[in-house]
Formats: sequence, C-alpha cells, structure tokens
Amino acid sequence: MRIIYTDLLCIGAGLAGERVAIEAARAGFETICLSLVPARRSHSSAAQGGMQAALGNCIKGDGDCPDVHFQDTVKGSDWGCDQEVARIFADNAPLAIRQMDHWGVPWNRVVPGRSCYYKGGEKLEKEESEDKSGLITARDFGGTAKWRACYCSDGTGHAMLYTMDSVAVQHGVQVHDRTEALSLIHDGERCHGAVVRCLKTGELRAYISRATLIASGGFGRIYRASTNAVINEGGGQIIALDTGVVPLGNMEAVQFHPTGIVPTDILVTEGCRGDGGTLLDANLERFMPHYEPEKAELASRDVVSRRMQEHMAKGLGVKSPYGDHLWLDIRHLGREHIAAKLREVNEICKNFLGIDPAESLIPVRPTQHYSMGGVRTDKDGAVYGLKGLFSAGEAACWDMHGFNRLGGNSLAETVVAGMLVGRRVAGFLQEEDMKVDTALVRGELKKQQERIDILRSSTSGEAPFEVRNRMQDILMDYVGIFRNEKDLHLAVEKLQQVLLSAENLKLSSRGAGACPELSLGLRLSGMVRLALCVAFGALERRESRGSHARDDYPARNDRDWLVRTLAFWPGGRALPRLEYEPATKVVEIPPGERGYGGCEVISAES
Amino acid sequence: MQYQVAFPTASGSRAALLDLVQMLLGLALVVFMYLHALFVASILLGPQVFNALADFFERYYLAQVGGPLLALVFLTHFFMAARRIPFSQQDQKKVWTSTRMLAHRDTWLWTVQVVTAMFILIMGAIHIWVVLTDLPITADKSAARIQTGFWLGFYLLLLPMVEMHVGAGWYRLGIKWGVIKSSARNKAKRAEYYITGFFILLGLITLARFMFVSVS
Amino acid sequence: MNRKLTFSIFRYNPQETGSSPGMREFRLEETENLNLFVALNLIRETQDPSLQFDFCCRAGICGACAMVINGRPRLACRTKTAELPEKIVLMPLPGFRLVGDLSVDTGAWFRSMNERLRSWIHTDENFDPDAPEVVMDNQVAEEIYELDRCIECGCCIGACATAQMRSDFMGAAAMNRIARFMLDPRDKRTNREFFEIVGTDQGIFGCMGLLGCHDVCPKNLPLQDQLAHVRRKMGRQALKNILPWYKN
Repeated sequence: MRIIYTDLLCIGAGLAGERVAIEAARAGFETICLSLVPARRSHSSAAQGGMQAALGNCIKGDGDCPDVHFQDTVKGSDWGCDQEVARIFADNAPLAIRQMDHWGVPWNRVVPGRSCYYKGGEKLEKEESEDKSGLITARDFGGTAKWRACYCSDGTGHAMLYTMDSVAVQHGVQVHDRTEALSLIHDGERCHGAVVRCLKTGELRAYISRATLIASGGFGRIYRASTNAVINEGGGQIIALDTGVVPLGNMEAVQFHPTGIVPTDILVTEGCRGDGGTLLDANLERFMPHYEPEKAELASRDVVSRRMQEHMAKGLGVKSPYGDHLWLDIRHLGREHIAAKLREVNEICKNFLGIDPAESLIPVRPTQHYSMGGVRTDKDGAVYGLKGLFSAGEAACWDMHGFNRLGGNSLAETVVAGMLVGRRVAGFLQEEDMKVDTALVRGELKKQQERIDILRSSTSGEAPFEVRNRMQDILMDYVGIFRNEKDLHLAVEKLQQVLLSAENLKLSSRGAGACPELSLGLRLSGMVRLALCVAFGALERRESRGSHARDDYPARNDRDWLVRTLAFWPGGRALPRLEYEPATKVVEIPPGERGYGGCEVISAES
Repeated sequence: MQYQVAFPTASGSRAALLDLVQMLLGLALVVFMYLHALFVASILLGPQVFNALADFFERYYLAQVGGPLLALVFLTHFFMAARRIPFSQQDQKKVWTSTRMLAHRDTWLWTVQVVTAMFILIMGAIHIWVVLTDLPITADKSAARIQTGFWLGFYLLLLPMVEMHVGAGWYRLGIKWGVIKSSARNKAKRAEYYITGFFILLGLITLARFMFVSVS
Repeated sequence: MNRKLTFSIFRYNPQETGSSPGMREFRLEETENLNLFVALNLIRETQDPSLQFDFCCRAGICGACAMVINGRPRLACRTKTAELPEKIVLMPLPGFRLVGDLSVDTGAWFRSMNERLRSWIHTDENFDPDAPEVVMDNQVAEEIYELDRCIECGCCIGACATAQMRSDFMGAAAMNRIARFMLDPRDKRTNREFFEIVGTDQGIFGCMGLLGCHDVCPKNLPLQDQLAHVRRKMGRQALKNILPWYKN
C-alpha cells in the first residue's frame, strides 16, 4: 500500500482548505489537498449571493465598519458564538476580501451616480458618490445593518473558488482529487495523517503529515432535502468524531435557508431578497412585514424560515404535489437586473423549474442549508483534543456563527479563517516535528482494509442506500425547523436502530474499485453518528436559540444554556457523550435583543 | 513567487504563421474560384465575349504566369490544410466516431471540406494540367472538351465539390478570424448555402451552354 | 399514462476483473419533472448500485455531471427526461480518461490545462494589507466575470473533433480562460507572454473553428467570439515577433 509523506494534509479543497494550503505553501511547506471531487467542483462554488466584509464603499453601506459587522454577527448567532472569534473575523474580513481582489476575483464595483433599487416591493433611489467609484460594492443581505455583501453577480463562490484554486496552482499546492479520508491516524494525542481511499481506483493509501487540516465542508446530506451538494456528507466531521477524543461543537445548530426551490431543493440566493424580492403566500400577499415589521424579508435566515413555516402551518402555503410552499417574487426587479445580477437564479429557474423569474413567481420553502456545528477548534483553528489537527470553514466549529449564520458570512469565514488558520498551521509546521510511528500507520491501514473486506464479503444485512434513506427521513420528520421533546426522543431512538443497521450492511454489488455502493457503505455509520449528535444535542438543549427552535422551550435561556454543546463519541458507545463549555469567554456585547425574531429571553441574571 | 510551475514553452511562431498563410491562401483561392466561375460563365454572353476575356488574360500573361502560380498556391494550400487532416486510421476513426456521435452541423461541414478536398486535389490538378498545357484558352477548345462525354461527367462532379469546398472555406475563415460574429453566424451560414447554390447553378448552366457551342 | 424510458448506458469498470466495455439497458417509468440526476440515482439505488457517474451540486453550477446524452455533451443534472425520446443513450464524455461507466477524470485534465496556461494573475505588485483595493471599472469587472463563468465541465472538449484527435490540444475552455486573463488589468502579462502560452498548435492555432464547443457550452459562454478574438490577437503578435517594423 502506498504511503505518502507531506508537511500539510488538507482534507478538503474548497475555499477554506485551499486558503490554508496556500498559506502553508507560501511559507515553503509541501502541501497536499485531498478532495472528493476536482477542487473547483467543491461546494464553495455554489455560494451565490455574496461575501460579507465591512468596506463601506457603497452608499447604503456608508459608515459600515468591523464593529457593526461584529454586532450583526453576534446578534445573528443569537449570542451563541464565540465573541472573540467573531471579533477577529469581522476585523479581518476587509483585508481578506482585498487580498482576493488582488488575486483576481472580479468583484462588482461602485458605479457613481443615481440608480434605483428595491426594498421589499418598494422602488427607491440612491446616489453613489464619485469618490468611491470603482471600489468594491455590496448588496443588502439578511440580518445586517448595512449593505455589506460583496458580490460577483450571483456566482460569488464560483469566482472566489476559481481564483483561489488558480493561486493554489501558482504555489504548487497539490490536489489529489477523488480521494476520501476514511480515518485519521492518531495515537490519542497527536494526529499523524489519514488513511485515504482513492475514488478512481479504490486503492487504499496512508498520508503521513506533520499537520492535518479538516476543511471538508458541511454535512447537510444527512437530511433528505438539502441545498447542499451531494458530497456534503460530513466526511471530515466523521473522521474527527471517530477519534473519540475530538469533540464536535453545537451539532444541533442546523440552518434552514428560506429559499430552496420546490421541488429539487436547489438554493436561490438571499441576494434575491437583498435586492428587493419579496415572499408571498397562497393569496399572493406579502406576509413577512406582518411578522417582522422592522426587517421583513431581511431578518436573519432562522427567523425568516420559522416565519415561513409558521405561515404555512396556518394553511396559507401554496399546495403542490411536493408539499406546501410559498412564493418568492423578484418580477419587479426587472429582466435587466435579473440577467446581470441574478444570473444563476435566472438559469436555475429556467433549467430546473422551466419558468422565467422576470415573469413568474418562484416556488420556495425553507430547506436545510448550513451546518453551524462542526469540528470544534480554538480561535487559531487548532482542534480540541488532538495536536497537529486543525479545522477551518464550514467543517469547523470555530464558532463565529453560534446558532445562526448570517448570509454572506460563510464565504467570508472560509477566506478569513483560511488565512488565519493557515498562518497558525505554517507556524506549527515551523516549530513542530513528528516521529513517524510506522506501527501506528500500518495498524490504521490494516483496520480500514479490514472494514472494506468485511463489507465486501458480508452476506447478511441491509442495502446501504435503503439505510441512508431511512436516516434522512428521520431527520426530516423529527429534527426539522421546529423541534420538541417527543419528536427528538423518537428521532434518537430510531436513529440508534438505524445505526445498528448501518453497522451491518450488505452490498449487492461486488464493491470493486471505486464502487459507489462501497463508498457509501464505508461512510454510512459515521453519517448516522453525526445524525445522532444532531438529534441528541437538540434533545438535550432545552431552550430555543437561533436555528434551534423548541416548541416546548420557546425562550432563549441565557441563564442555563449560554453554552456550546461538545459531542464526543468514544468507541463502543450507543450515544455521544455531551459536554458543555461557555459559549464565549470574552463578552463584548452582553446577551440582549436581536431586533428581529421576537423571541422571549430568560436572562442570565434571573 | 511567480512562475513556479514549470512547463515546456513551445515555439508558437511557426504555428501562427502557417495559420496566417493558410488563411491568406484560402482567401485568395476563394476569390479566384468565384472569379473563375464568373469568367467561364461569360460563355453565356456568347463565345466572342469568352474569347475576348481569354485573350485579355493571355495578352497580359495572366494565364501563362498566373496559371502556374495558381497551381502552386493550390498545392501549398492543400499541404497546409493537410496538417489538420487525420491520415492515420486510428485518428480517422476517432474523428469519425466523434462526428457521428455529435450530430453537429459545423463538424459535419468539416468532413465535407476534407472529402471534397480529396476530389479537388486530384481532379483540380488534372483540370489545371489540361488547360495550361493547351493554351490559349478558347471557347472552341473548352466546348470540344466538354462535349466529349467523359469531360462532362468530370466537370459535373468537380463543380459541386469545388463550390461546397469554397463555400465552407470562406464561412470557416470568417468564423475563425472573427469576421463573422456569433450573432451573425446563422445569417452567414444561410448566405453560404445560397451563394454555393447560386454558383453550382451558374456552373451547370455554363456547362449546358458549352454543350451547345458549335465547335468549328 | 407515463412513458416507459429505456436508458442505454455505457458500462465499464477498469478496476474490475472481467469487466468489458459495452452498453447496458435499464428501464424506468417516467415521473413528472424527472431529470437525469434523479433518474440515474434511482437506477443506482434500485437496479445497479455499482453504476458510476458524477454529480455534485446537481444545480448546474459545479460542472461535475457532463456526459454525452443522446449524442450531445450536456450537464446531466440540467437535462429533463421530458426533452428526450423514450430511448436515452448515455456515454461518458470523450477526451478524458475513463474512471468507470459514465465517470471521467476531468480534474486531472483541467489542472494540467491551468498549469500549462499559468492561469493566475501575474503581477509584481505585492499585496498591501493596509491599502484599499485597486480601483476597477464595474464594466470591466462584469466583462471578466462573463468569461469567468466557465465551470470546467468539459463539454467543449467532448464536442471538439480537434481535441479528440490531438490529446495535447487545450481546447475552448483554455482559450476562454486565457482571454479572461488578457482582459484583466491586474494581470501584467504582455501579449508576447500570452503568445508563448497559446500562440501554438496546442493553443489557438490548433483550433479549426468547428464550434462544437460554442454550440454545447451549458453556460452559453461566448466561445466563438473569444476564440476569434484570441486568434486575431495572437496572429498580430506573431507578425510583431518577426517583423521588427510592425508595431500594433
């Protein structure tokens, strides 16, 4: 079996992974990124609307600064974030975006003079100033005090990822695409690399690395309906959890995006509402201003999704063979605006719905979108529990998002965290050497080979695809936007049964080479364990915070629950072990009102 | 930090110049062929007109010098364009499979160019040889040739080959060098069909007329 | 009454002993709004779990799922069965190394293309973290973005007869990419430097103008005009390289 040595092994080659890799490569270290798909197909490319950075160039962003961005982020997180991290993030976002500009991202720019824009359904006018002409402009996004989402039409993630990968090519960052990390090689204290299966040939390899980074994105595909790419199955979180010593943070914090299209669950950007699109119900009436007089459609995502769900529960949703939905209306923005600033949305509507968004309403409903939770790290991106292991991007729980991420903050996180964690990794590589323990490596390789052999020769058990579908349905049915004790209990119980099935599968193919059935079989039990971390964490968190909304505990409880869930899964257990740590050590803004969402608060002093 | 990735730099000048020359020669041949078609069509205005034009070419040595020059251009054009033609059986198979799979008109058009080129190479060479070794050109001699059954068949085959090749040729040149923009592509293609059709028709009428020139 | 669809799918797993290339048929009842993403996954889940194909974003954004659908390279996720006849023939995209069945290795191809093109901004200016960004006209940014939309799906390569014949030909994706950098004021490369990269038979002068690329591009990139633009620019540069008196 092949053994490959490198300084840094990045598991994941999206924006965060490559940004870290570039930093290490620029410091002179050999860097290899693993990726399930070619780097440029990473899910970062699907981010549409924008990246938040407080540049304050456009007139509607006038007066913006990192302080305001920080406040928006903390409020957005429903005070679930680590404020020290949110501060570092907001302060560094302008620098990170300018660096991306220096590297070649074609950001849209300020065009001086008068122009029209829409807010809600209303047409308004603004005048951009001459002295900001040609600087990076921004659009409005949910939960922000200023226009702060910088963009390239609505292919922002695509443009950023292509630029990032071009810089990675420039600096000789190697990408081993179509590979999947099956486990981390570790001795309980230090991470030594990973055992990896090649998805072109099925070959098993060991990568030995002085530093290892998990930047594999989210795990939305544990839900049946998700805006995520099909590769977002939580591979990075699984191998971290499987070490038994690394905790996953706040796994119950799952974001539902208000505008997934029906059917197919493809995302249309928040930019639609940011640019003035509205949400309509079955009677073609706007309903968001009624729930959220202040922010209307541009409250944070958790709030808008909840309000939509509430509204549909009142029978005001539009009936369809695919279940109830609501309408997104961007017709009034005009064909020209849609063709220039909402190109992807235009294409998606035409190709997947067969409609012209300049003339027709877009059927939407809240759909699983983002994992705030993930591999818990400190503010430098170092993972709790294992030395030499780092994490960044959606895969991580760096924790600037807390219980709800603001739109545009994920792209920003990937490049800001990538830059900062990259520096830390480079520093680590300069300081730390490692003794290679060949027995450890061979042992892990053998263990994974045995897993494969057992699965391929298994003669009894269920089919992987069926078991996966069952897991996905349980999460859809019981761990959705609104949660309660009874459902969550049921979910945990059922998922535990599913876990038993997932550990006893039978393939109906021979599992040769890169067989997709074998690939799923190998990751399925891990996916169910992630699902259990989500469901069990949600069951135990008896309050409502951000995207975690409990019918039976509707208040945000700062007295008992201003904490972060840490889920550990030591071998042989049927459920994760949950621990808690304070949500934030540094408190710049004490918990208070968000200004939207109308949630009751049990304050820390009561 | 820049230029870290090593890769061999190929000398491009040769490729570029060949492409430029190929374009110019192609263009020259297109112009020549259309003028040629108009010249022979002058028989429609009567053998005297035809002979007067031929005489004009002769007097200014356009036939004696231009003829061999044209033959040279013709062959050079062939050799340059042949760089693109697959001659190994394996390559031919690849192209054929891909062309059939694709069902794409402009790709088929190229197959037309290649096949007609083969005919033109042989038949064109024969035609040039026959005409240039028997100067001066006169309506009489041309008519006498065409009125033998073999040469009529010969020209009935060569005519559409040439016109299709020439039509596809200028369309392709226009596309490659951006004279035809994507917005005008369909229009250009339609024009190509009409012009090719016109010259084939003109050629047929010309041939028919030659059949009725009384040979003295 | 729903149509009964027949999928004729290319099968070959180079990693499996005894596997030989051939077509295999699968049957599926058509449902409303069925697209090839759903259909292929259904076939995999219910009929043959070893069937290999690539999907990623399944929203026409990432470019993973290009394949030849009834003779035309297209993105499978964006193809509805309603647009197709009852018999649907699926082949892997030609011009790329086959991984298995409908799955091809586009990643290695495009990585090598980007290395050959040196497709990154070349500048001697260092990034100044304290300075505001360099001013750019919004229209220029939008023009760059227009070309930057390529998703490296490989349809243009699959539809290019030249690329099928000559594996070193870089194809329309590469010419579009280099045009994007030519347009970008941040890239300080001269035309002479660009010429060294694409002024060759592997580059723009290998293109025969068949326009298969332009006609199948799922992103409707202006490939025809970009190819012509690069050809003219590089043709001029070739003259400049040999004629010392010829400037501009």
